[in-house]
Amino acid sequence: MLLTLRASLGDLYVLWTQRIEERRPFQYIVGCEHWRDFVLSVQEGVLIPRPETELIVDLVGDLIKENKFLREGLWADLGTGSGAIAIGIGRTLGTCGKVIATDLSPVAVAVASYNVQRYNLEGKVEVKQGSWYDPLKEVEGELVGLVSNPPYIPSEHINGLQAEVAKHEPRLALDGGENGMDDLLHLCNGAVSMLKPGGFFAFETNGEKQSKLLVDYLENELEGRFCGVNIESDFAGIQRFVTGYRAR
Amino acid sequence: MQSFITPAIHHLPSFYCSTTMTVIMVSPKPRMPPVSLYHPAKLAASLHYHHPLSSPRPPFRFCTSLSPHSRFPSTVSLATPESQSSAGVGTETSEWAMQDFYALRRDVETTSKHVEDIRASAGLMQLGEDLAALEMTAADSSFWDDRAKAQQTLLALTDVKDKIKLLAEFKTQVEDAETIIKLTEEMDSIDTGLLEEAASIIKELNKALDRFELTQLLSGPYDKEGAVISITAGAGGTDAQDWADMLLRMYVRWGEKQRYKTRVVEKSLGEEAGIKSATIEIEGQYAYGYLSGEKGTHRIVRQSPFNAKGLRQTSFSGVEVMPLLHEESMDVEIPEEDLEISFSRAGGKGGQNVNKVETAVRITHIATGVTVRCTEERSQLANKIKALSRLKAKLLVIAEEQRASEIKQIRGDAVKAEWGQQIRNYVFHPYKLVKDVRTMHETSDVASVMDGELDPFIKAYLKYKYSVSISSCGVE
Repeated sequence: MLLTLRASLGDLYVLWTQRIEERRPFQYIVGCEHWRDFVLSVQEGVLIPRPETELIVDLVGDLIKENKFLREGLWADLGTGSGAIAIGIGRTLGTCGKVIATDLSPVAVAVASYNVQRYNLEGKVEVKQGSWYDPLKEVEGELVGLVSNPPYIPSEHINGLQAEVAKHEPRLALDGGENGMDDLLHLCNGAVSMLKPGGFFAFETNGEKQSKLLVDYLENELEGRFCGVNIESDFAGIQRFVTGYRAR
Repeated sequence: MQSFITPAIHHLPSFYCSTTMTVIMVSPKPRMPPVSLYHPAKLAASLHYHHPLSSPRPPFRFCTSLSPHSRFPSTVSLATPESQSSAGVGTETSEWAMQDFYALRRDVETTSKHVEDIRASAGLMQLGEDLAALEMTAADSSFWDDRAKAQQTLLALTDVKDKIKLLAEFKTQVEDAETIIKLTEEMDSIDTGLLEEAASIIKELNKALDRFELTQLLSGPYDKEGAVISITAGAGGTDAQDWADMLLRMYVRWGEKQRYKTRVVEKSLGEEAGIKSATIEIEGQYAYGYLSGEKGTHRIVRQSPFNAKGLRQTSFSGVEVMPLLHEESMDVEIPEEDLEISFSRAGGKGGQNVNKVETAVRITHIATGVTVRCTEERSQLANKIKALSRLKAKLLVIAEEQRASEIKQIRGDAVKAEWGQQIRNYVFHPYKLVKDVRTMHETSDVASVMDGELDPFIKAYLKYKYSVSISSCGVE
């Protein structure tokens, strides 16, 4: 069997040293990441989608199977990055369902748009640039679903992370402020006005502590706005996701 | 002159030719008298000695039957160049024709025995009863009321009929060959044409018998499929992990020898040497059928290479074999709540905190405790899908073994006991022996077994399994 190299040996050597000496993430070197059943293009400036996050799409998929309201409605993926969740959900929605994916980073918006095109989902997934709910002003109160994997790592933890993450991935996508909850709380507050009654939300968190704090916040600070608030664990058994519905 | 130069040149391999030619050219005359004087006597003597019943045949006969034995005269000619004459070659040939006859007679006898064995083990009586029962059903007036069932019955009927016909054919064919042998013995002469016919009957019959046996032995519902082998090192640290690695090599070698598409899809290395576990996918017809008997615990006894004192050490490794089934071909639904799905790697904060290149999924079927893992795919979902299909395949096989019609009926306690059974011993020291504890098949050629020479063990097991199933049928 004869295989031709797609990069010259010199180039491969450079990539190799980048991987070993600079700890550049493997996914940036090859320019893609396998996530669920598709391959997403990634590059510096975009968070590499994590395997844990795959579960959000499963959660949503299970829900909309039996729920036409959610299947045919408008969804939003906030801080979409490579567009992973938006594409995952976009492929499970019904004919009328749509996803708007937003991101503050222009690089992320470009990469997400490219990935959406690759899977021919231009009609299903719309990518917009802007901070959190800003690009969604005109659809306020019309969303049936809201998902996000926002930055949730406490600022002071970032430097101690694995070099691949700390040195190469965008801080914008990781740093969640002093206790890592800044963006999560902002998302919860906004969800009150953005979601239709009965609309669903799912947010990824840093684990048990944040999940519990968030549930506490939703049930006390935003009392009566949400119902069915729940914590879901990832495959490793870490309490990773907080889900719930906008009260009717 | 022509008659004895021709065979000499003809029947010598090319590298002798030049020498022979030289000899003939240099001294053609001196060689002739001894030939004419000596050989007729030898011809007669040897014929009488070897086969008093057969009469001497005309010389051209010898020439025709020469060709298959061309090598023998040539060796003789090297030792005693004088014997290179048509008569000399002819004598050897007739002896060899007789040898041929004896060999053929032996072949016919063995094949006859083989046919008897097969006819006995195929349960002819049972088949006859089945046939009668099926014909009764088919003759029933309400037979066609249920079309689907009628079709099934008719198919079964053809199957049984075909089998009976085939077994009858085996018998007539071997009887034909036997008749030829008897005839030749009584006729005092050898009719090459007849013998050739007998030889070809036996050759074809043996092929047919092999095919028949194989289809009998490999008639399980998944036997035609490819196979997934997973090897797990037993307790005992580096020694056991090295042993697991040796088994991995053995099965990969076996797969390559069979020209199956063999891939090591997952391998987790031991700390010091060897492997903790590995998974091989083997694609090809009947791979599962052959390998299904390999599942169980394999035990090695040897001088430990990881021990300074070289103490004798016993280690174990577990081998699991599942059919390689495609999702579409499996008609099984397992409810999510019956499954426990987890990462096989624990610890760490996960999520945004880490960058992982590999993901691993382990699925446990809670009711039976059957566990599979999959790490070779690149995304978690893909790993989960693959693990689930492996789990299904495994449960299907267990259900089939326990003769359970549904996954729900599988007895979990029996699964544990059965899949961990010790099946084979590999002794490297103090003596060399590989022995299967079920079939008692053994060999002292440990090295070639480790090089993938597993066929004798596989065949022995298939035959053993078949005879067990036959006898258990009889009991029922």
